[in-house]
Parts: sequence; structure tokens; C-alpha cells
Amino acid sequence: MDDKYDCIVLGTGLKECIISGLMSVERKKVLHMDRNDFYGGESASLTLDQLFQRFTDGQKPPESLGSSRDYQIDLIPKFIMANGALVNMLVFTGVNRYLEFKKVDGSFVMRGGKVYKVPATDVEALKSSLMGFFQKRKCKNFFAFAQNYDDADPSTHKGFNIDETPIKDIFEYYGLDDNTVEFIGHAVALNKDDSYLTRPARETFDRMKLYADSLARYGSSPYLYPLYGLGELPQGFARLSAIYGGTYMLQKPIEEVVYNDEGRVCGVKSEGEVAACDFVVGDPSYFPDKVRQTGSVVRCICILNHPIPSTDNAESCQIIVPQRQAGRNSDIYISCVSYAHNVAAPGKWIVLVSTTVETDNPLKELEPGFALLGEIEARFPSKDGVFITTSYDATTHFETSCDDVFKVYRAITGHDIDFDNPPRPDQDDE
Amino acid sequence: MAAGKVFQFKLVLLGEAAVGKSSLVLRFVKGQFQEFQESTIGAAFLTQSVCLDDVTVKFEIWDTAGQERYNSLAPMYYRGAQAAIVVYDITNADTLARAKAWVKELQRQASPNIVIALAGNKCDLASKRAVDDEEAAQYAEDNGLLFLETSAKGAINVNEIFIAIAKKLPKNTVETRPAKPVVQIDEPSSSKKKGCC
Repeated sequence: MDDKYDCIVLGTGLKECIISGLMSVERKKVLHMDRNDFYGGESASLTLDQLFQRFTDGQKPPESLGSSRDYQIDLIPKFIMANGALVNMLVFTGVNRYLEFKKVDGSFVMRGGKVYKVPATDVEALKSSLMGFFQKRKCKNFFAFAQNYDDADPSTHKGFNIDETPIKDIFEYYGLDDNTVEFIGHAVALNKDDSYLTRPARETFDRMKLYADSLARYGSSPYLYPLYGLGELPQGFARLSAIYGGTYMLQKPIEEVVYNDEGRVCGVKSEGEVAACDFVVGDPSYFPDKVRQTGSVVRCICILNHPIPSTDNAESCQIIVPQRQAGRNSDIYISCVSYAHNVAAPGKWIVLVSTTVETDNPLKELEPGFALLGEIEARFPSKDGVFITTSYDATTHFETSCDDVFKVYRAITGHDIDFDNPPRPDQDDE
Repeated sequence: MAAGKVFQFKLVLLGEAAVGKSSLVLRFVKGQFQEFQESTIGAAFLTQSVCLDDVTVKFEIWDTAGQERYNSLAPMYYRGAQAAIVVYDITNADTLARAKAWVKELQRQASPNIVIALAGNKCDLASKRAVDDEEAAQYAEDNGLLFLETSAKGAINVNEIFIAIAKKLPKNTVETRPAKPVVQIDEPSSSKKKGCC
């Protein structure tokens, strides 16, 4: 280990593993270490035994939950946008070949205590029971405008400059009421709060387009989920890195990140040895004195022996409880997967309820989410209720995570990822 | 010959570093041997088929990519594998102990019906033998493993071990696939599709 590397990566969370993979592909010499004896850090998936070990004081899982090894329970709930940045990254790197994915059955939004399917196109808007007769028409017209908007064709702009006009004004122009705006802004454009309303409309249009394009790829929902859980994703990118020569060391206590006289990083010390390097990339937990808490997220893992009511017996789904529906400033997210994804024992569903913390009693903030689940067989609230949001935020997809990766990549290499020229191992068979 | 049915299986190799995992694969897939094989073969996976009497068994062979070196092999590697070859070096008794640990790990974590073969590699180096073949055979029998001593260098028993696995793999059972189909993601975006379809 007392060698010289181009780049040392600390922590094997998804973002770190993507960076590691990309660096190795660029023929940089990478050393990747983790203090844990498993891959994934905070984005790992745990067996039932590991879950009980982490969240209880030595309790054993009850027999009713089935075999521990049938479980791969995500600590961080996320789905993959089918047409989003992570899918591009998976295909670009070829890591999609190591993993198998299923589409998520449905995407829902709560209104007045009831759960509705999220309409995302003009056609769906007309069919939705989420809106009354007149709002449906107005919503359809708005979707049609957003879908047909073409930068190159001013006749589709209806006199709006979407780089300047706030989206709020366009909602008003189309006569959308608060309820309609709420589901478009939160369940389609996937905003965490209402700050987007006063920003230029393009941002919301882009997000709506990502949702609609993702939905169009496989139908039923815009999301994908990997078999065996999200923990497979970092492992897939770690394998990519290893194939291109990256060195992996788990269970490595990291003593310190070493800086030279000029204050620039020059190595990492572990078990008394220093590995020299030009760059260090790591998750925030490896730099306790360099991170600042910017907010906290409360999450609760629930195990059910039935699908979530009113979701058409979905084997997997997402439900968004918009802020106003729960009298809050930020949305509550519910994500649900099941035995159908090889992450739970037969007949079991795994549900994660999460939100951004606003009060002194974070667990209570999740109650409007719990209320939708029916009987809950077991619950595991995140131990301290606090995570640093620069690690993994409350959103239910990976788009913001990928933005971070792009930034780090650019900072190290000085250029953007060239998605038109994917790497392919020379000796690869197919 | 009327081509029989083709069955595809994922096969993984496990074992201590430098026992000859990649060499066995290279011998089987390409008929080659390199004295100073690089520590990894640099490919995601290789494929090779074995023809039995009435069926063809196509192996998708995954290499550890060197992750085993510091006990850091990702479990994803053997996820869904239907077959595994656990390799040790007959000139190094420690590697058999490590192989036994891998067998345990597979029995604990991998799919319950996985076919496991134990390979005592480097059997061309008989003068340096440190592991008794009867002892290894007994261990294999006790644990329901296939067992052969192999030499990637001398091309001894390499095809044979893959054929033995191919024979033992269940071919009549319908694959226990999840009820709903798995989606294939292979184009970054439908709008940016290159070439024809």
C-alpha cells in the first residue's frame, strides 16, 4: 500500500465508486479504501441480520420475517430515472451488463389522504381522477405546451421566454389551480420544496421532460430499480474500476488525510502506512473537519406483509406526499420495493419513508406517510435521525448524485465526460 | 448435427490471488497459457460453450478482477451465479484453507442450487506438492463439490472440469426468473440512438 497513486478514493458509496471507475478507465492509478468490511457505505443494502444489528440493541429478527439472506434493504431510498444521468453512466461504462433492472410499477401522489397515479402527459391528464373536469382541460393544455415547446421554433413559445419567465407565470397563464401546480411541481418535476416557482420556467420544463421521457421508455413509471437492491450499484462501478486496474481494500481504518507544507493533499495514512497520491476523493464522513451540516433527513425503514393500499398491488412504487398535503415545507417521499426485486423474503414489502427534518421530533413528521401504509410489521427509524445532506439528500432519484460526480470529475480531469466515446475493455467478448 | 437447446449459465471463479484462476479461464476459452499472466484479464467476462450429447451449455465466465487480493471481493460478483470453480494451488496448503472459506461463503450467500467445483490447480508441479489429493477429494465429497486436480499450464483436466460442471447443471428446470421481466438498458437515450435498429 505504501505506493504512489494518482487518486485515492475513500468510502465505497455510489458516487465514490463511479468516480473510481471513471478514473481507472482513464488509466489513472486508483487506490480505493473503505473503513467498513462491506461495499456501499451509506448507500449499502443490508441483510435482515445486519439491519437488526444496526438498528436494535441486540434483538434477533423474528421468524415471521423469514430468512435473513433473502433481504437486501437499502439505507438510502432512491430510484433510477429511466432516462436520467445514472442510466447514461451505466450504459457509458458498460456497468449495465453486470446488473439486472426492473421497472418500478407505479408513481403516485397523495391528495387529501388518498393516493392517485401521477399523470405526466396531456393524454394522461385527461384520464386522471386527480383533477376536476375544467382543471383537466387546463392541465392538458399546459402539458401540450411544455411537450411541444421547441427552442428553434418561436411559434411554439406562445410569447414566453422560458429562460426569464418564472414558471409561476406560465402556470397562471394556463389557469392551473394550487392542486394541479402542486402535483406538477412535486410529483412530476420532483421539486423538494416550492422555491422553484419563482425561478425561470426552463428548469421545470427540463424536469418535466426528464420525467416524461423516462416514463416513455418502459411505461408504468419513470423509474428503474436493480435486482438485489441499490447496494449492487456501487459494487458494479467498483468492479469496473477493478477491471481497469483499480486496487480495492475494505476494512481499512483511515487514520488521516495527509497534506504537504503548501496545504495540498499528498497522501492517506492507514494502519501506520502512507499511500501517496495527487488527489483524494471521499465521502464526507472521511473529512469530519471539512464538512458543515446543511440540513438533515429523517428516514424510516418499514417491512410490510402486503402491498401499499391503493397502489394496484404494486410490487414497487413511489408515493409523494406534497408539502401542503401534510402542512409542511418539504415533501414526504415513500418508496416501496419487494420480494419481486430479490430484496425481501417472499410476500414481504420494504418501504422507506423519508423527509427533510423541520422539527425537534423528526419521526412524528413521517406520520402522514405511515398513515398510507396499512399495517406495518416492523419499523426501523434511522438511528440518529441525522444525515449530512451533501451526502445523500431527500430526493428519491439519483440526478443530484450524478451532478456531484460530474463536478468532481471535472475538477480532477479538467474536462467533461465524453459520453459519445464509451470505454470498452479490449478483450471483452461481446 | 441438429443443434440442441442452448442453456446459458453464469460461472464465477474464486480463490486466493495467484492460484491460477485467470489462467484456467484463458486455457478453457482461448487454449492459451502465459507464464507471467497479468494479475487480471481486463475483461468484464468471457464466454465459452461446452457441447454435451443433446444440449449446448454456454458459460458466461466472470473473473474476480483482482478484488480478492485484500479480501475485498464484492458479493455482487457471485450474485445469481449458477456455477463456481473454487481454485487452490496444490503447492500451497494455505490456499486450500482459503478455498474452503470461499465454499462456506458461497453456501451461505450464493443461490442455494449453485454447482461448485473445487480445482487443485498447478498439478504439473507435483514435486512441490503440499496438499494431499485424497484429503482434498474427501473434503469435496463431504461438501457435495465436484473435484479435479488441474493444470492450466499443462492443459490437464481444464476442459474436463467445465464439462463436469456443464453435466451437473440442471437443464430441465424452467429458470426461476422473477415473474415480471427484467428490463434491458442498453441505449443511453432513445433520441440519441446511433446506427440502425
